[in-house]
Amino acid sequence: MNARTLVSPGLAIPVLAAVAACLAGTLLVLALGFSLGDALSSFVDGTIGSHYALAVSLNRSVVYALVGLGFILANRAGLTNVGGEGQIAMGGMVAAAVALHHGVAALPFGLAFLLPLSAATLAGAAWGGLAGVLKARVGTNEVISTLLLSFIAVWLVYGSVQSVALLRQPMTSGATLPESLPVPDATQLPLLTGDAASPVTIGLPLAVVLAIGMAILLTRSRFGFQLRAVGLNPVAATRAGFAFASTVVVAMAIAGAFGGLAGGVMLLGEQFSLKAGFSSGYGYDGLVVGLLARGSVTGVVAAALLFGFLRSGGISMEMGAGVPTALVMVMQGLIVVAVAGAAFWLDRRGSRS
Amino acid sequence: MNATPALSPAHVSQRGALLLGLSGLTKRFGAFTALSAVDIAFHAGEIHCLLGENGAGKSTLCNLVFGVHAPDAGTMTLHGAPYRPAGPRDALTAGIAMVHQHFSLVEDMSVVDNLMLGRVRGVLDRRGWAARLDALGTRYGLELAPFARVGDLSIGERQRVEIVKCLMREPRLLILDEPTAVLLPDEIASLLAVCRRVAAEGAAVILVTHKLAEIREAADRATVLRQGQVVATSDAPSTEINRLVKAMIRRDLEGLDATTAATLGLEDESAVAAPAVHARPDGPDILQIDGVSLRDSDGALRLDALTLTLRAGEIVGLAGVEGNGQSELGLLLAGLDTPTGGRLVMDGQDLTGRTPSDFTAAGIGIVPEDRHRVGAIADMNVAENMFLNRTRAFTRFGLLQRRAMHDAGAELMRRFDVRATGPDARFGGLSGGNQQKAVLARELTAPGLRFLLAAQPTRGLDVGAVEAVYGLIREASARGIAVLLISSELDEVLAVAHRVAVIYRGRIVGERPSRPDQREAIGAMMAGHA
Repeated sequence: MNARTLVSPGLAIPVLAAVAACLAGTLLVLALGFSLGDALSSFVDGTIGSHYALAVSLNRSVVYALVGLGFILANRAGLTNVGGEGQIAMGGMVAAAVALHHGVAALPFGLAFLLPLSAATLAGAAWGGLAGVLKARVGTNEVISTLLLSFIAVWLVYGSVQSVALLRQPMTSGATLPESLPVPDATQLPLLTGDAASPVTIGLPLAVVLAIGMAILLTRSRFGFQLRAVGLNPVAATRAGFAFASTVVVAMAIAGAFGGLAGGVMLLGEQFSLKAGFSSGYGYDGLVVGLLARGSVTGVVAAALLFGFLRSGGISMEMGAGVPTALVMVMQGLIVVAVAGAAFWLDRRGSRS
Repeated sequence: MNATPALSPAHVSQRGALLLGLSGLTKRFGAFTALSAVDIAFHAGEIHCLLGENGAGKSTLCNLVFGVHAPDAGTMTLHGAPYRPAGPRDALTAGIAMVHQHFSLVEDMSVVDNLMLGRVRGVLDRRGWAARLDALGTRYGLELAPFARVGDLSIGERQRVEIVKCLMREPRLLILDEPTAVLLPDEIASLLAVCRRVAAEGAAVILVTHKLAEIREAADRATVLRQGQVVATSDAPSTEINRLVKAMIRRDLEGLDATTAATLGLEDESAVAAPAVHARPDGPDILQIDGVSLRDSDGALRLDALTLTLRAGEIVGLAGVEGNGQSELGLLLAGLDTPTGGRLVMDGQDLTGRTPSDFTAAGIGIVPEDRHRVGAIADMNVAENMFLNRTRAFTRFGLLQRRAMHDAGAELMRRFDVRATGPDARFGGLSGGNQQKAVLARELTAPGLRFLLAAQPTRGLDVGAVEAVYGLIREASARGIAVLLISSELDEVLAVAHRVAVIYRGRIVGERPSRPDQREAIGAMMAGHA
């Protein structure tokens, strides 16, 4: 093995592209007259500067990873699930409703949080599966249906916290915010360390296990084969006995389940009470994570970490150095374009030789 | 046999002046050399046939002349001056026109509108163009209704539109890339007549083909390509067919399978035995296609109460011009579409409306006409494609046993002579012949196979692969499997089938024994004169 093949261009080039984009972002910070030192130190503070910052960043990455894993599964079957946002919203809403349900907090053996988490997963599955059924039955493009279903879900959350009859906390004064009561302690996700100063939840090991499971499912299982066959050539796959309709519904339901689970993890692990707009774009960022991963589980993990830490660092830069969020978004966009462009370039080079 | 006569001056001046000369023309695609140092001279007033199997470099040569690709080495001269087209536009300006294998017509536009596409500006003079079309039609015997919608025309008529498009430019060189593959016997004859007229007016015609009957009938000269090199040339091709074929397929004709020879168009040659006379086997009925109709989403009747019964061990040839319902029938038999009327009965079991898996379970195997869309998944590997419908046999606890599948794939590749770097090779990277053999391997080894549909099974394959496909079909028939051979090549149907049914506008319009003396009767039925 010579030095040229030690680092594969498939890995090195996207990484270099990301680094280049970060440098470009740094120049932008300078050009806009912010202190680079302040910006960088707040970025470090917000990402790896403390156990707390690290934990929060990891929790964010978990959400991105879950949505991204669902995305690449559906994508294997040739489906593009852009409905992560709605699936998160449904998951979070159902998780809150179940967790606040009388008696759930008293359930033994961790069921207090497992039950709302499972309910969130099922809610996401239903939301994603609905798009699958529409596709299989009447041929509705899943890009359109999942996107529109997301709007419905986000506004359902909004509606559910407007009325006390639904999830809004009891009105004690005119200043009572339109949000749900906080979920009981027992229904919150346990922390890995048990120490609130380092609040990494069990969402992290759960995501790791699911990522490994997903890798096996996609590459080794017959179901993974079926997804790939249907995705690459639906007609030939149908002819070979793989039913198109059920494959599409199941794939979309699983993708939705991952989104719903992500919503449950957000609500029970971080936010604790349901607010309007609580999904705040995680679903769309998760979609980008899935796209950047280009079908690989490792890619999802890498992109999820990148996004989780970028988002944390960005928030911290805004608070610590006054760098506007918009700039952080620009940097995120630059990275996406650079990495995706590098991938495109690698593909073209690969297909030409 | 490999001798390539040098271009001597005597060679050049027989009929007309040298129009286009190729010298040392070479084209590489990556590591693959598609053309290597080719010298050919094309003369005004002549039909020059380019012969060769698939992948021999015929299309590459045409594309170099038409400016689609640039050569890596060598030169071209046109009327003695260097000719270096940067693109098809240059070629057209230089008076070179080409009819491609795939038509580039807008179906929803009229014939005249298609002719005007890209050639007119401002106010459209449809009448003027229609008059020009009529004049050309009379001159060359190419009749076309100027205001007919192209989508309503037959394949042969569409090709006429393409040819007229070229002729309107008054080309000095007309290239036709395998123009006869999609035509009826009658249409082939009239196309060759057009070529002769174009040549008689002083233009050169390059006719790419692999059918020998056409060379016998029309060629003034012929050049045979194999693996990118000129391996034979002839100034009197009609008298040296056997020499040309030998050069083309690089083997002696004695060993050539009689059926294949007949399909190639070799006849009355001492070296080739006549195809065996086929007697219809006397087995039980296997598949009944019982009054099957199919209406498409536009309400057009694609299959019209089509009835056909196949016996065990029988090969039925379904002859017909493409587009008369063969594709629709193929989809129905694969379980990919459901008839709007009638029944499909297999061994007494009604399969109408059942899933593709039920069809496979009932013993139906399909070699589909569209290998890339229906038959296989190009981006999966060979083994995965060979067991596409049998993945369950390789699954333990939900996990695919890749090792076992790989080994079983290697075994099938050996048995069916599928040549690839291994079972892990990407299916789409295989040659057409090997792809087809892999599909046949899958379908023929399905447990409980009783019926095989082979739709256009040899299209685009070279002679060796064609022979292998016929061999496999005949073996299946000998095993008692009923075979329906759908083909638009009448020679193929006559050579392989026990009996011939003719499909026209979605109906079986007649049946004939599969004998060469039935050729004209079948041809007439294919054209709708039943």
